[in-house]
Amino acid sequence: MPEDGVHDSQLLKGVLSLALMRLLADRESYGYELVTRLHDLGLTEVQDGSVYPALGRLERDGHVTSRLVASTSGAARKYYRLSTTGYAALEHIELAWQSLVGALEPILSKAVPAKPKEALP
Amino acid sequence: MNEGALTKKDRMHIEIAVRKIDWELDGRIPRARRRQILNELRSNLTEAAQHVGVEQAVQQLGDLKALANSYLELYRSRFDVRAGAFWAFIAYAAIQLLGIALFLAFRAGVAAGGAHGASYSFDLWQGFGQGFGPFAGKVGADGNTFELLIGSPAHLLIVLLAFAIGSTYQGIRARRRT
Repeated sequence: MPEDGVHDSQLLKGVLSLALMRLLADRESYGYELVTRLHDLGLTEVQDGSVYPALGRLERDGHVTSRLVASTSGAARKYYRLSTTGYAALEHIELAWQSLVGALEPILSKAVPAKPKEALP
Repeated sequence: MNEGALTKKDRMHIEIAVRKIDWELDGRIPRARRRQILNELRSNLTEAAQHVGVEQAVQQLGDLKALANSYLELYRSRFDVRAGAFWAFIAYAAIQLLGIALFLAFRAGVAAGGAHGASYSFDLWQGFGQGFGPFAGKVGADGNTFELLIGSPAHLLIVLLAFAIGSTYQGIRARRRT
């Protein structure tokens, strides 16, 4: 796993929804809990401020449902869980992701040369 | 950790952050949705503050304006009430400035015409009857006292029109952009 701070924030933004859906497929969670679960996975660059709207987007798109649960810490927590369409979407996105990784693998697995070869005449 | 761990100052800090986001959302997304967002943010911030401290919790939200914009992209209303209010104010200010300019020109004209012993009034447009406005005024007999129309049915009509156009246009433009 890469060290803290080496994940590209733009890359993370692109896969945040996938990561959130995958985590929610495992267990119903509320916003801050999802942030800590992502951080525990080593994705410490993910900011709370990007996770909360991402959850809103997933809910708007019907991929997750939510319910309020009273909390001992004060205001009620909003728990999210993957919906039926969310499971279908997750399956689709996971396949797309695997396909992308597979397509990039031949390029990325090669050692990076010190300088590029000259163009062919 | 429990809520007791948070001091009044901590809760105030959380509330300030929530209110900053609320300021950006006010009038731009439906009220019920806004309340849901703020409650969820407050709950998450409280939770985070209990684990990492309130300063860090707020910092982890990132740029509050950017966060508010993310919510706006998601839930923006068809009408932007704040933009409507802004354009209504601009329209009113513009009418008043134009009215003052017209009035000063009228007063100068009256003075140049050698006015004496009488009051002079003007009502630029009486399409819907006298006093409809928006440009009307009166110069006193001594040339120093004057009256200028600052509120009329025409003022109201123009301000309402500016509000309607401003709020709708801004809402449509923002939705297209996102």
